Amino acid sequence: MNRILLGGSSALAALLTLSACGEKVADPSTQYGANPVLPAPHEYLLPPMSVPRATGWAKGQTPVVPAGLQVQALATGFEHPRIVYALPNGDVLVVETNGPKAPVYRPKDFIEGKVKAIAGSAGHGGNRITLLRGANGDGQPALRTIFIDHLNSPFGVVLVGNSLYVAATNELLRFPYTPGETHITEKGVHVTDLPAGAINHHWTKSLTASPDGSKLYVGVGSNSNITENGIAVEADRAAIWEVDPATGLKRQFAKGLRNPTGVAFEPQTGKLWAIVNERDEIGPNLVPDYLTSVKEGAFYGWPYSYFGQHLDVRVQPQRPDLVAKAIAPDYALSSHVAPLGMVFSQGTSLPEAYRSGVFIGEHGSWDRNPLNGYKVVYVPFRDGRPSGPPQDVVTGFLTPDGKATKGRPVGVTLDRTGALLIADDVGNTVWRVTAAGAAAN
Amino acid sequence: MDMAETAHATPLRPSLHPLLIAPAAALLIAACATDFLYSQTLLFQWDNFSIWLITAGLVLAALAGLALLLDVARRRIGTLAWGRFAGFTVAALLSLLNAFVHSRDAYAAVMPEGLQLSVLVTVILLVLGWRGWSLHAVRRAHPSRPAGARS
Repeated sequence: MNRILLGGSSALAALLTLSACGEKVADPSTQYGANPVLPAPHEYLLPPMSVPRATGWAKGQTPVVPAGLQVQALATGFEHPRIVYALPNGDVLVVETNGPKAPVYRPKDFIEGKVKAIAGSAGHGGNRITLLRGANGDGQPALRTIFIDHLNSPFGVVLVGNSLYVAATNELLRFPYTPGETHITEKGVHVTDLPAGAINHHWTKSLTASPDGSKLYVGVGSNSNITENGIAVEADRAAIWEVDPATGLKRQFAKGLRNPTGVAFEPQTGKLWAIVNERDEIGPNLVPDYLTSVKEGAFYGWPYSYFGQHLDVRVQPQRPDLVAKAIAPDYALSSHVAPLGMVFSQGTSLPEAYRSGVFIGEHGSWDRNPLNGYKVVYVPFRDGRPSGPPQDVVTGFLTPDGKATKGRPVGVTLDRTGALLIADDVGNTVWRVTAAGAAAN
Repeated sequence: MDMAETAHATPLRPSLHPLLIAPAAALLIAACATDFLYSQTLLFQWDNFSIWLITAGLVLAALAGLALLLDVARRRIGTLAWGRFAGFTVAALLSLLNAFVHSRDAYAAVMPEGLQLSVLVTVILLVLGWRGWSLHAVRRAHPSRPAGARS
C-alpha cells in the first residue's frame, strides 16, 4: 500500500507538471513525406486542442486559390455534403450525410458531442444523394434532383458499368443506373454487410472499384480512437476490405489502417492507394495522418504501433507478433490534418503543374493547437510515387486567427471537364476549381 | 451519546452536508474497487464504471459543498472542523484530477495513475469517515466532566 501511495504522489506530481508545461510544436512541414519527424508521445490531462466555431460563408465569399486558378460555388444549400462524384454524362452526385447518433459511454463522449456541435461536425446529414446537372458554376445548377433518398449514413459511391454502388454505414448497396437518369426509386440491392453496430465510432465507408471493375474496395475505420471501447469491437475494422460485387464475398485486403477515409487507384500503375486518419491524444505532432499505397495482406500497425513499429503502449496487452509485421506507410501528410477525400489528378483541366498527382481534402481537426489542415492540398507524383511536399491548392476555410471556420473540405473529385470539385460540409456548398480564365462549364 | 451530554450540548438542529458527503465518498471508494478490477482484468468496461462513479461522486461532492454553505448560513454548524474540511477538499480535488486521467483512451493511458489516485482518495476518505461525515468540530473536553473521563 505504501508503495502505491508513494507511486500515487509521484504520478500526481508528474501529471501536474505535464499539464503546466507548454510544448513547442514543430512545423507541419517537418512531417511531410516518407520520413516524418516523430516526437516522443505524451499523455495529457487535457490534450492540446483548439475548437474553431463554424460560421459558414457570407454571401459572395469563397475559399482562396493560388494564381492561375479560380474557384466558384457550384451549388449551395446542402445538408452536410461529404462526397462528390461525377457521372460519365457530366451529372454530379453530392452525398449529403452524417454519422448516426454517437452513444454516450463516458462523460467525455457527452462533452465531445458539445464540441462537435460548436465545430459544425454535428450538422444534420441529409442521408441522401443529390444530382446536379448543367451546373455552370454560378451556384445555380439547371437541374437539381434528389437522386437517391433515405440512405443510412452513406459515404462512398462508385459507378461500375450500369451499377451504382453506394457504401452506407452498415451495408454495401447496388442500384441499377441508366445514363441520364435523375432519380432512382428502386430499393438498393444488398451486396454485403459492412461493420456498423451500436458504437460505429468511425462510421464512414469509403469506396472505389478496381480499374477493370471486377473488385470493390471499402475503407472501414476503427471503432474507437485507440481501443478504448475494447479490442473485441475492432474485429472487422481499421481495414480495407475487398468485395466481389457479383457474390458479395469479401476479405480483408489490408489491416491496421486506423481510419481509411479514402481509397483510389493510381492511374499510371493501377495500384490501390488510401488516405488514413491516425490516432489522437498523444501530442500535437502525433500521429501523422498519411497517404499510402496499400499492399495486399499488409498490416499498418493500428492499434499497437504507428508509422511502422513505433509502439503505442496505451494499448494493453500488446501484440509483439503483429507489431513485428507492421510496415510504415509511404507518405505522411503531417498530424491531425484529417484527410477525408482524395482523387488522382490525371485528366484534370487545371494547369500543367497539377496534372500528375493527387488532390486531398483535409477536413482539419480540433485535436491540435495550432490547427492543421482545413484545406485542399496537391501531392505531386512521378512514376506512380509521391515526388514532393504537399502544396496548398484551396485554402481560406479557416479564418487567419484560427478562431472560426467558414467551411471544411471533405470529398474531392474531378468533373467531366477536369475541374476540381470539393464538398464543404460546414459551408454546405460544393466548390468548383478551374484554371483561371476557363469557361464556366 | 449519553443523556448527560445531550442535556449540555448546544441545541443544534441536524445539518444537511453529511447526507451528501457520505454517498459521495461511497461512490469514490467504489471507483477504487472498479479501478482495481480494471488493473487486473484489462477489461475497458471497468474503466467506464470508474469514470461514471468518479463523476457522480464529484457531482455529489459539489452538492455537499453547497449544503455545507447552507448549513453554515442557517447556523446548523457550531464550529467548522477545518482539518476535516481540508481533507475532504483534497479528496475532491484529487478525484477531479482522476476524472481527467480516467477520460484518457486505452489501458496504459489510465493505469497505473488512475488506480494510485483512487487508492489515495479512498485512504483519505476512510480515515476521515472513521469519525462520521460531519464537519462539526467535536469538542475534546466536555464541560460537565474532567477531560478523558469515560462513562
